[in-house]
Amino acid sequence: MKPKQSIAGMISRREILKLSPLILLSGCDITPGEKTEPLLRTVQQFNDWVQSKVFDPDKLAPEYTDADVTPEEGFRVNGKDAGEPDIDVVNWSLTIEGLVSKPGTYTLGQIAHLPKRTMNTRHCCVEGWSMIPQWAGTPLREFLRFVGADPRAKYIEVRCADDYFTSYDMPSALHPQTLLCYEAYGKPLSISHGAPARIVMPVKLGYKSAKWVHTIILTNEKPGGYWEDQGYDWFAGL
Amino acid sequence: MARREKNYQHPLIVRVTHWMNFIALGIMVTSGLRIYNASPIWEFRIPENLTLGGWLAGARMWHFFGMWLFVLNGIIWVTYNVASKHGRNTTLFRSSDRLGIVPMIKYYLRLSKHHPPTTKYNSLQKLTYTLIPLLALGSVLSGIAIYWPVQFSLIAASFGGYDTARIWHFVFTAAFVLFFFGHLFLVAISGWSNFVSMITGWKRAEEN
Repeated sequence: MKPKQSIAGMISRREILKLSPLILLSGCDITPGEKTEPLLRTVQQFNDWVQSKVFDPDKLAPEYTDADVTPEEGFRVNGKDAGEPDIDVVNWSLTIEGLVSKPGTYTLGQIAHLPKRTMNTRHCCVEGWSMIPQWAGTPLREFLRFVGADPRAKYIEVRCADDYFTSYDMPSALHPQTLLCYEAYGKPLSISHGAPARIVMPVKLGYKSAKWVHTIILTNEKPGGYWEDQGYDWFAGL
Repeated sequence: MARREKNYQHPLIVRVTHWMNFIALGIMVTSGLRIYNASPIWEFRIPENLTLGGWLAGARMWHFFGMWLFVLNGIIWVTYNVASKHGRNTTLFRSSDRLGIVPMIKYYLRLSKHHPPTTKYNSLQKLTYTLIPLLALGSVLSGIAIYWPVQFSLIAASFGGYDTARIWHFVFTAAFVLFFFGHLFLVAISGWSNFVSMITGWKRAEEN
């Protein structure tokens, strides 16, 4: 869990990234003031707990027919994304660390060899819009089984090439519709949609469907997330 | 004592839940409008100074705090009304109240100077105070549909799907806001002691 060091050496790039929206938003913190924030944060954690209890690991998100799929020209990219990272799609590999029996790096070829699931599920952005892309990839639980992940680990963190990161509870990560996705609309993912591989999680809000994943870490210590650390709910279940 | 009892308008639980509702709905509506602004359904945006939360995450925190106030308050109110029969004896709309609707509308529109004879509340008031709890139920259910479209996919489907449920949720909000201004107007024209009675419970006899 060593953060990447910036050239300056003192602060990780991620720390700088984390701070940038705070600098932008410093003029409009949670009104009407900081006095309310501890209460709101406490209720938010309580709501996360409620969501974890309501979450049914066997309940599938509705899957739609091909006729209901959002046309490919409507396959949106969230405007809040900082931009496309420099990513070497050809030589990409996925690193897995933490509570696994076979840590290391795995190629896209190895992942594509695992069982594949194609699904038309709704992607709900926290902003309120939604779309129904056609996703395809390996269920994350198949990959976790393949690498010998400890199913008793409580959390999974993913780290991305754009320095984005987020984390999940294990029951949601093991949900049958949680994909290590490498295709959309029957084609390899485009760079703007997270090539070569991303997470797709129909049981959670869109900010949990992390793009450009390069590292997966299994841990018992609760990791945060890029948006979660700034005030968005961590569980973010749907 | 007899004179005072006659003018006792609102039991304590009704008054407390009334003002809790005001606070809870104030939070829900203003934070909800900030959430709306993150991805407006229609062409318009809500002026930021009418919204609560500062940014989307802050608005969501407020919204999912306010929802507990609103729901718990609603549970207290419904439980009280079921147990006490208070609502049944005062504000519940019954089929016999249908006949009073048109005369009351005529009176309000100044088409008739004659105030139709009523019990404590007239037919239009009863209709409104019976529909408002149903509106609250609609708000909560459409809210569940967009908060938990997977866990409660049947509720989302019953509103016509996720995107449509979001529109319903907004429409219910708009109905609450309309009710609020109508309510405020009617309270204003009916006099100060009527307003005070929702705080103290008592209304002055001469204005009854």
